[in-house]
Amino acid sequence: MAAAPTRAEALSLFRSLLRTARQFSDYNIREYARRRAADAFRENRALGDAVAAAAVFADGKKQLEVAKRQAVVYSLYAPKAKSIMEMKLQ
Amino acid sequence: DIVKKQLVLPEGTDVTGASKFTDLGADSLDTVEIVMGLEEAFKISVDESSAQSIATVEDAAELIDKIVSNAK
Repeated sequence: MAAAPTRAEALSLFRSLLRTARQFSDYNIREYARRRAADAFRENRALGDAVAAAAVFADGKKQLEVAKRQAVVYSLYAPKAKSIMEMKLQ
Repeated sequence: DIVKKQLVLPEGTDVTGASKFTDLGADSLDTVEIVMGLEEAFKISVDESSAQSIATVEDAAELIDKIVSNAK
């Protein structure tokens, strides 16, 4: 049985997810991934039960691997046009 | 400014070098996001142990100075 993650481990996973989210070239995907990570961590920040915490942490790790792979795939097919959200105002 | 934006602080809130993130209402997740925001703004990379030790705006500023000067 996996031990519950320490606070430092949880924060480290959160940072990794934010870093990976940053790598998406598409604006919408990037912002969604970042928000999703933040929301999920806040949802579970008060989780005190060791077993539940370990399960949620393991799921988070899996999501990180998925996000890393998807960031690579997306970069191969990135559209040339930038999202209007990313354009600088004149 | 980055700190204010992250914490959605009301306008006019004082954020000085000595302000503790926790005093501004930030939890550990907020602090992580603040550090990530600073990384992007200054185009630097903060290693894990350094990031974990940041507690005030001043801490963050000092760390950024150190990293930026090392990069030059």
